[in-house]
Amino acid sequence: MFWPFKYLYSSALVSFFCALGTSAQEYVDTTQWKDLDDFVFTHRKSGKFKDDGPENSFMINRTELSRAACCNLGESFTTNASVDVNYSDPATGAKQIKLLGLSGSYVQLLTENMTNFRGAARPYALRYVPGPWMKSISVSKGCSSVKNGFEAMSGQINVEYLKPQDLSGEAINLYFDSEFKLEANADANFHLSPKLNTEILAHFEDRFMNHDSDGDGFVESPDLRQVNFQNRWNYLGSRYIMHAGFGIINEKSKAGQIGKHSHISEGRHPYVIELNTQRYEAYMKHAVILNKEQNSNIALMAGGSYHGLGASYGYKGYGVDEGNANVSLMYESDFGRTHNLSMGLSYNYDYLNQRVRTENLSEAARKKILEKETTAGAYAQYTFKPFDKLMAMFGIRGDYSSEFGWFATPRFNIRYNPIEMLSLRASAGKGYRSVFGWAEYNYLLASGRRIVVENLNQEASWNYGLNATLTFPIGAQTLKLDAEYFYTRFVRQVITDYDSNPHILTIGNLRGKSYSHTFQIEGTFESNFGLSVTAAWRLNDVKTTYNGILMEKPLTSRYKALLTASFSTEMDIWQFDATFVVNGGGRMPAPYVTSSGDFSWPKRFKAFPQLNLQVTRWFRNFSIYIGGENLTNFRQKNPIIASEDPWSENFDSTMIWGPLHGAMGYVGVRFNFGKL
Amino acid sequence: MKRVILGLLLCSCTMTLAAKEITEVVFTPQPRMVCQNCEKKIKGNLRFEKGVKKVETDLKSQTITVTFDADKTDKAKIEEALNKLHYEVEEIIVEENLKEEVK
Repeated sequence: MFWPFKYLYSSALVSFFCALGTSAQEYVDTTQWKDLDDFVFTHRKSGKFKDDGPENSFMINRTELSRAACCNLGESFTTNASVDVNYSDPATGAKQIKLLGLSGSYVQLLTENMTNFRGAARPYALRYVPGPWMKSISVSKGCSSVKNGFEAMSGQINVEYLKPQDLSGEAINLYFDSEFKLEANADANFHLSPKLNTEILAHFEDRFMNHDSDGDGFVESPDLRQVNFQNRWNYLGSRYIMHAGFGIINEKSKAGQIGKHSHISEGRHPYVIELNTQRYEAYMKHAVILNKEQNSNIALMAGGSYHGLGASYGYKGYGVDEGNANVSLMYESDFGRTHNLSMGLSYNYDYLNQRVRTENLSEAARKKILEKETTAGAYAQYTFKPFDKLMAMFGIRGDYSSEFGWFATPRFNIRYNPIEMLSLRASAGKGYRSVFGWAEYNYLLASGRRIVVENLNQEASWNYGLNATLTFPIGAQTLKLDAEYFYTRFVRQVITDYDSNPHILTIGNLRGKSYSHTFQIEGTFESNFGLSVTAAWRLNDVKTTYNGILMEKPLTSRYKALLTASFSTEMDIWQFDATFVVNGGGRMPAPYVTSSGDFSWPKRFKAFPQLNLQVTRWFRNFSIYIGGENLTNFRQKNPIIASEDPWSENFDSTMIWGPLHGAMGYVGVRFNFGKL
Repeated sequence: MKRVILGLLLCSCTMTLAAKEITEVVFTPQPRMVCQNCEKKIKGNLRFEKGVKKVETDLKSQTITVTFDADKTDKAKIEEALNKLHYEVEEIIVEENLKEEVK
């Protein structure tokens, strides 16, 4: 090359890269006068926060929820390593979560710090909370505060709804997916005075067509129509605060051999599963601030609900009229900067008037079962915080159950920061749960097995946890490393025994050992240029005694590996999200030998991958998102046993461990009128 | 010849990049920003204004700092955008503010 051109070429190259590097920073700096405390880093707002207290908990806010479709609470954990979401069974479409390898039944579910969705509502609770209604979700692992009761055995999930005092305005969200599900959500806030606010939350969903991709005659997801409405109020005075509201849910669901290509056994009716639900709930909370400097306040919380369910599984069926009422009175105060004391009283009443038909015959009689339980208790919790590096929480509850007598719930949580970057946590405590067998397990009637429900004991467990979190600042970036271990040991447990007899499913009391060891490591990198990446790996060792033999819990993955990334452009105009998960294999319930000499199903299921992607574009008054779930197109093969003869004793649609539908695409739009 | 063309292309890109003028302006609003909702409203709306690169708000000092590309927008348009959100704003000049800090 002629030497001047060589010189010019090299200069151009150098200048180009210099200009590229400095173009974002070449500005007129008028901020030199600002104090360091006021300086705001322009890094992407994190969607997941570790709580600062002694409990091992984190919060998922709307930033994190916007990374996926998150149609309801059950679908809000797809980017999370700690919470597993079971795939919905084709009979009811219900999604269940798992925490620490244990069933979601052991996770206490709260809405705005009040216990909700008990008994027959519990299996479907996750779809009663629409995604667009939620402001944040707090997840506590292990034993948490005794304030909310004794039921958090593996953890606690608290849902915070959008607040009436948030920016006034209206928002509408529309969603449609390739599984023919249509959803519409609307929320509106009204600030009636400087202190009085109200909001309306409305939700409608309908699946108007269905798939039977594997040709077994059963649709993968039920035709489900839900109408959900809430009206929430608050009054925010300087000394007095009030929250109150009510909600209504109406849901109809139909599944089974309802597709166009369902092949019906000769001389038989189609095997159809129908669920009709009507739910009403109301709550109120009053708080009086006694001393602002000492954070002293006294609060009264009360709630009630009616839940009516009529379910038919072929000719088997379950119906319930369930009522719940609960009241709590709580006092809390700081004493100096070091001590905090909280005390309270609580009362809970559950009433279930049930009808069950366990035979698959239209003329079979229904059995009436009435269950009631009253539980009253008191608690005290002391928090010790001598300096910022150390916080310890000791709590004790004493409760009396009309069915099970007296029981005590001690809990301890501690957080210690030996250095600023390192946070160490430990916890130990007990948890209890009363089980309403038919209310919580009636979906197992979608099976030819004979269901037997024993006289059930109250469940009780000890939970121990250790956690270490290391936060490295790397320039303007942050790297967080988290390692934790939890051990849960059941003293008493209600187990569903699939293994002892392939034609009988027993819901009975544990006789022997049952425990869970969970180990998880997680690393998160958050940049100041819009990128956030999380990698996590979790190992579960969950064993229970079935018929005298200690065995791996069936339908539970041994491990989970997750890699999730999110990138936002300047000013968060575009957002790109990707989540890749590998769910480990696990044990299937013990198979039987068929007439051909083969096993009815494989003894184990293998690991499988899942890939979800989403792109969101934000505009001034609306945002649009397009995404796909299960883009690896993995599907559980032959999920329904004996689908060719659902009226036989071999039929079973409840042994689900993976997705039933393949790759799915969706599109959604959210309009804001006055809101962000 | 290929290298010559590539060199010229690089030069023109360099000039384009170097010519970007990123400017910053600081406003103080009336009425005051009372809480996080006010900050959210301002940041959430201003980010869609053409040319705006960064928006920072501070409740303590009651300031809104906007970083923008002067080729695409100007102070008057940003002020108009804030007016639409029902905020009257006044620009804070750096020298005056330094004097305030000294006091």
